Amino acid sequence: MSTTAMHPLAADYLRRLREAGRGLPTGRLDDLCAEIESHLAEAIPPGTSDADALSVIERLGPPEEIVEAEQPAPADPGRDPRTWREWAAVVLLPLGGFVFGIGWIAGVVLLWSSRAWTTRQKVLGTLIVPGGVAAFFPVLVLSAVAAKSRCVTVARRNGSAFGVGSRHCVLVGGPSSLHVLLAIVLIACVVIGPILVAVHLARSAGRAPAV
Amino acid sequence: MAPRDSTISQLRRGVLEFCVLALLREGERYSFDLVRALGDVDGLVTSEGTLYPLLGRLRREGLVESMWRESSAGPPRRYYTITSDGDATLRTFAAQWSRFRDSVDSLLEQGATA
Repeated sequence: MSTTAMHPLAADYLRRLREAGRGLPTGRLDDLCAEIESHLAEAIPPGTSDADALSVIERLGPPEEIVEAEQPAPADPGRDPRTWREWAAVVLLPLGGFVFGIGWIAGVVLLWSSRAWTTRQKVLGTLIVPGGVAAFFPVLVLSAVAAKSRCVTVARRNGSAFGVGSRHCVLVGGPSSLHVLLAIVLIACVVIGPILVAVHLARSAGRAPAV
Repeated sequence: MAPRDSTISQLRRGVLEFCVLALLREGERYSFDLVRALGDVDGLVTSEGTLYPLLGRLRREGLVESMWRESSAGPPRRYYTITSDGDATLRTFAAQWSRFRDSVDSLLEQGATA
């Protein structure tokens, strides 16, 4: 659809609609804008007077009203919009990583298939932190590596031909206080981040309109 | 006392989708034509723009189907047709509506003459 010949008032209306509809799922907003753009192009052909263009826009109503109509029906007061799917997503995102990692993936699928969250919240839930609290262990390993630990195998002879080996890890030169601080901050983020995000998702889903 | 605005707008919202289906029963229409036809009916629609979300819902519910088509004069148009599901839904509503309307009318008339 070409917008080159669009009346400035029509173009402005379309811009206000896009602005008002920022919270809508992208596909729904694009679809709505395509319809309204077609309506404006049809009702306000090139050369239309400002007064006529205004009356078309008046008949359409405020963009906010259209966006409100596009949103799912308002919640039943007293009915919790969170179904088992939302609760499962909220639990699996931080903790599902402990179930062979599959639990976290299931959490992400539930997160994205729910209508209780906006795209922004879904991205947040996916990225902070992939794997959930279980991502703590790789981070722990990484920080241990960063602390340059060296492991030595000490063979103990117990009189038998086969020695029972034991591994001792020693920190060579000891980690610097910066390393320790970084590791603590990183671990705290990985543990606290997913929990905070899960609490945020659970609360915002509770305010979402029931679907 | 005038009826509260929200009561009337709820009633309107409840019946509008069937009005859309009824208009489509005669054949396909493109969205602007459909919206203007409803907008021209007295007291049915306050903001024509809010009909587009309604059309989207009817599409998602499978009661109507749509297709964008180039137009020889002007911008591309989205043409709507009623599906067999939509037709069945409309028939059911039409039967219930006439009973409902008659009942409410008879009560209102009774009240007026009493």
